[in-house]
Amino acid sequence: MFRTRDFALRKIRQIGPRYMPFADVATDDLPLSRLLRLSLFQVTVGMALVLLVGTLNRVMIVELFVPATLVGVMISLPLLFAPFRALIGYRSDIHKSALGWRRVPYIWKGTMLQFGGFAIMPFALLVLSGYDQAADAPLWIGHASAALAFLLVGAGVHTVQTVGLALATDLVPVEDQPKVVGLMYVMLLVGMIGAALIFGALLTDYTPGKLVQVVQGAAVVTVVLNLLALWKQEPRDRDRARRMEAETHDDFIDAWRLFVRGRTAVGLLVVIGLGTMGFGMADVLLEPYGGQVLELSVAMTTRLTAVFAFGGLIGFAIASRVLLDGADPIDVAWWGTLAGLPAFAAIIASGPLTLPALFVAGTGLAGLGAGLFGHGTLTATMRSAPREQVGLALGAWGAVQATAAGIAVALGGIIRDLVTALPGAADFRPETPYTPVFSLELGLLLAALLAIVVLRRKQARLHQTSRYRNRQDRPDTSAAPIEPTPPVRRQKERETHDDNRVTAL
Amino acid sequence: MSDDPDKVWPTGLTLKEAEEVHSYLIDGTRVFGAIALLAHVLVAVSTPWLG
Repeated sequence: MFRTRDFALRKIRQIGPRYMPFADVATDDLPLSRLLRLSLFQVTVGMALVLLVGTLNRVMIVELFVPATLVGVMISLPLLFAPFRALIGYRSDIHKSALGWRRVPYIWKGTMLQFGGFAIMPFALLVLSGYDQAADAPLWIGHASAALAFLLVGAGVHTVQTVGLALATDLVPVEDQPKVVGLMYVMLLVGMIGAALIFGALLTDYTPGKLVQVVQGAAVVTVVLNLLALWKQEPRDRDRARRMEAETHDDFIDAWRLFVRGRTAVGLLVVIGLGTMGFGMADVLLEPYGGQVLELSVAMTTRLTAVFAFGGLIGFAIASRVLLDGADPIDVAWWGTLAGLPAFAAIIASGPLTLPALFVAGTGLAGLGAGLFGHGTLTATMRSAPREQVGLALGAWGAVQATAAGIAVALGGIIRDLVTALPGAADFRPETPYTPVFSLELGLLLAALLAIVVLRRKQARLHQTSRYRNRQDRPDTSAAPIEPTPPVRRQKERETHDDNRVTAL
Repeated sequence: MSDDPDKVWPTGLTLKEAEEVHSYLIDGTRVFGAIALLAHVLVAVSTPWLG
């Protein structure tokens, strides 16, 4: 009798921690399977983006007859949260937890927000469109609930991506970071393409019931994948928990000052903003350009997205390879931006020359350039992040990147529509509304190249002064330098951002 | 088993740690409840089932 009880307790003790969501030890070696699992959160982010910008955009306009301007406002609502990414990242840096966790609580909360947004979204949209009896209900119910749904999803996506990337940076040794960045981007693409195909197939014959099923299904998939992604990733750490309790922290403004002081953080953010706008502005214009100017069929223009994505995949692959071989991430970003110049020149020229092949080649090259640029700049951000400010650094990256991409897409559409609305626009050549947008992209890419040159100069100057000046006050900068990687670094030195070093901030 | 009064078996967490894990569960349930309530209200607006 006593022995069975003893046996049962021993068994329970063995299985107990297995069903707890933390890793018990921080391992040096992170197997690829665990990294792949962690990157699942990017799949849900990609899925959410496609659902908002692609699928629901179309459903609201085509099937629910919501006015296009209202749809535009709703879809841009999540963008309002993008600048808060820096704040979210900072909050996760200074989070106090008895388990020693910094990232998991935020990923969990972000997941709940995203889930909640998707759970109420289909009903909110049906009310918004005046479905059935909702036509008699006051208008504000539909507007307010749809806005709330979009805001919740937006807040969730921004939180999950920012803190998820910070967690990845925490866990992975510095020399493996290019691999992780590549993986994260690829998983984002996988999520977007997979979601676009699946949602497209599921919603071919639209019914309100199907809309509810699809969007709520996305909500469930979000929770399942994100839980799977963060399960047992961040180690429980009693020492850190004890330290967290004792620590006091700067407020956000002071933390930000510390973050930008004596480093090239702002320069890098400028590069990211310009380059992202340069590559992103044509995102939604390439397909109509192919259709209206080059008279490609709908099936052909849909494949354009695939060409762009495939170019991006090649870009990520090349970037991962050369960065693992010790190349400088800023160099990779430079080559990516450079590749964008002939790409958009080819796209501009393909219209008047009526050369669809040139257009497709330009699109692929633009994808490749965007891949190189994105990978290079994110890797540079991870490398330059001071240990205790990883969340803030990646939050700043996300804030700039998401805001720039959103503004670029909106601006591209506005410019095109303005040119189309000009008096006498009916006599314009079909490519006229598009050429200014593509030319602006060329200009932005040139500006990004210039910003990289300035960044390089500043880096060189900082590098020089740091030889003479005692930098004891910033122990973190020497640990993860943005300066050109010295060859010493390639030696076996498995340092992670997470190795519990107390830095006196 | 109960040699350390601060620890909760079978997981070996301290009381504070266990409370934190629990708090995530509770928060999640609360959010879930609020969302479910809102969803029901919205459905009732478009297809009233209470008459």
